[in-house]
Amino acid sequence: MLSFIFRRLGLLIPTFFGITLLTFGLIRMIPGDPVEVMVGERTLDPQMHADAMHRLGLDKPLYAQYIDYISNLLHGNLGESLVTKSSVWGEFKTLFPATLELALAAMLFAVVFGLLAGVTAAIKRGSILDHGVMGISLTGFSMPIFWWGLILIMFFSVKLGWTPVSGRLDLAYDITPRTGFMLIDTWLAEAADPAANAGAFKDALMHLILPAIVLGTIPLAVIARMTRSSMLEVLREDYVRTARAKGLSPARVIFVHTLRNALIPVLTVIGLQVGTLMGGAVLTETIFSWPGIGKWLIDAISRRDYPVVQNGILIVATLVIVTNFIVDILYGVANPRIRHAK
Amino acid sequence: MTNANTSTVASAAEDAALSYPSPLKEFWQGFSYNKGAVAGLIFMSIVLLCAILAPLVAPYSPIEQYRDHLLTPPAWLDGGSTAFLLGTDELGRDILSRLIYGARLSLFIGLCSVLLALIPGVVLGLLAAFFPKVLGGVIMRVMDIMMALPSLLLAVAIMAILGPGLMNAMIAIATVSLPAYVRLTRASAMTELNRDYVTASRVSGAGLFRLMFNTVLPNCMAPLIVHATMSFSSAILEIAALGFLGLGVQPPTPEWGTMLASARDYIERAWWVVSLPGLTILLSVLAINLMGDGLRDALDPKLKRAA
Repeated sequence: MLSFIFRRLGLLIPTFFGITLLTFGLIRMIPGDPVEVMVGERTLDPQMHADAMHRLGLDKPLYAQYIDYISNLLHGNLGESLVTKSSVWGEFKTLFPATLELALAAMLFAVVFGLLAGVTAAIKRGSILDHGVMGISLTGFSMPIFWWGLILIMFFSVKLGWTPVSGRLDLAYDITPRTGFMLIDTWLAEAADPAANAGAFKDALMHLILPAIVLGTIPLAVIARMTRSSMLEVLREDYVRTARAKGLSPARVIFVHTLRNALIPVLTVIGLQVGTLMGGAVLTETIFSWPGIGKWLIDAISRRDYPVVQNGILIVATLVIVTNFIVDILYGVANPRIRHAK
Repeated sequence: MTNANTSTVASAAEDAALSYPSPLKEFWQGFSYNKGAVAGLIFMSIVLLCAILAPLVAPYSPIEQYRDHLLTPPAWLDGGSTAFLLGTDELGRDILSRLIYGARLSLFIGLCSVLLALIPGVVLGLLAAFFPKVLGGVIMRVMDIMMALPSLLLAVAIMAILGPGLMNAMIAIATVSLPAYVRLTRASAMTELNRDYVTASRVSGAGLFRLMFNTVLPNCMAPLIVHATMSFSSAILEIAALGFLGLGVQPPTPEWGTMLASARDYIERAWWVVSLPGLTILLSVLAINLMGDGLRDALDPKLKRAA
């Protein structure tokens, strides 16, 4: 097991350095030099320009700049935003819980309904229900989620007035962030001071529902399709026939004998959705003005705040490869065939 | 599927004149067995025709602004007029015409970005399969790095470097989809390399170039064609997403995603401005995905069981 982990770790580290090369290159590939970009439209006399280049270490040869960059990274220094002047890591830390909360809610939605839909379709194979579920999931898979978000807002927020249009919480509430997760924070606040914060939890929940559905739609479709085909595969196995022949109840055969084994490939797919979620978060957060890292990165790009773009992307990419690494390890724990494969 | 094939083979044998159906006929039988795929093909043919014949089909110019007709609803609603079948947007431009011209752009960018990814992807994949030790290792590591980044985020990062625009959007989307082609080509080429016919060809003195492109590549085409179809649909989605974020094709060029970017402000007053471009994207992507399923059934029965 340990050697398996080390083997995987051996792949992780070069990937991480590859990504640093990419994010390092990012700033250097921008047309014009960074100092001009930072100054913007104003003209700059050559002396000040040279000073700025020197201060930022941009007059050194490229390899020295890269070494500087890596050593800063390893010291936990991710630079500071050109616009707000606060540290990139600090900004990331305050915004990340919002994205995590949204992603977890989306995943919960996708897993619950995806499994349900996939299992139903597999049991009723060939029926109208099966065709319906598969048709809907192919539609979900083809969904431009930024449009889907607008449609849901138009229907549920504007027309029916059930859910708020944007943000995480009504401005009337003043909740001190403790965990950064709005659902937990409002819960705590309501428990501490029921009079002042009445209804805060429900408000946070209502804010979360639509973005979670939007972000969860594509993973839902993928999970439903995967569950169906994996269930169909397992339902053909001999031991399922044995279980049926023994006279076990259909529910027991489906949920205990079949679903458990059918879940293994589904779990991998769920793990692989982390990347999709991070990409989707960019769009979902933009539509719902959700103050998370997706919106943060897009805003940084439109403001040409390059340190944020550069290291924000680095953090997100690292997050994705680390999650994939953990999924890999868990998969190895669950399945010895993977663990011992070369 | 297998049943259908054996029965067609049987009926062809009864004809006596034909012992085997022609490859094209066989392909069509596999493809048309999937009703969804045929529906997708019909829909995409119409979209393609509209795109090619845009100047003839579209009632107006896509950028002409009719200032007296701002936010006119579609013809079947109160206040709609038959002059503007699908209504007009906030600047008084005819939505139907913009959608038709938008099809041109989406299909063109989609096709170009597929080709821009397919060609280098196939070459790199073949190289990785033929030289697995050093070159292959390097290529695959680089692809792993590219795959580690969420594709939309990578595309956004590339657009941040290159700046918004049509050509840059193509490059960004092609770059993002490159790793999948490389992996797919490498995987199928590796299996083919162990086959006897490759050894035979090598022994009879075929050069590297001939081995790569004439001997091995044609036998790797089926999964590549299926994947190219699927990545065509995701390219359309990604162009629209970039357009929506304001990083893709710039206004006033009619592009489906860009049309949605400004629509958010009219969500309360003019649902058609919001709904129609998105619906067009959804239907096109769905049609292409349906076609992809049909292609997979027809070209590569082995893949049928996979997700």
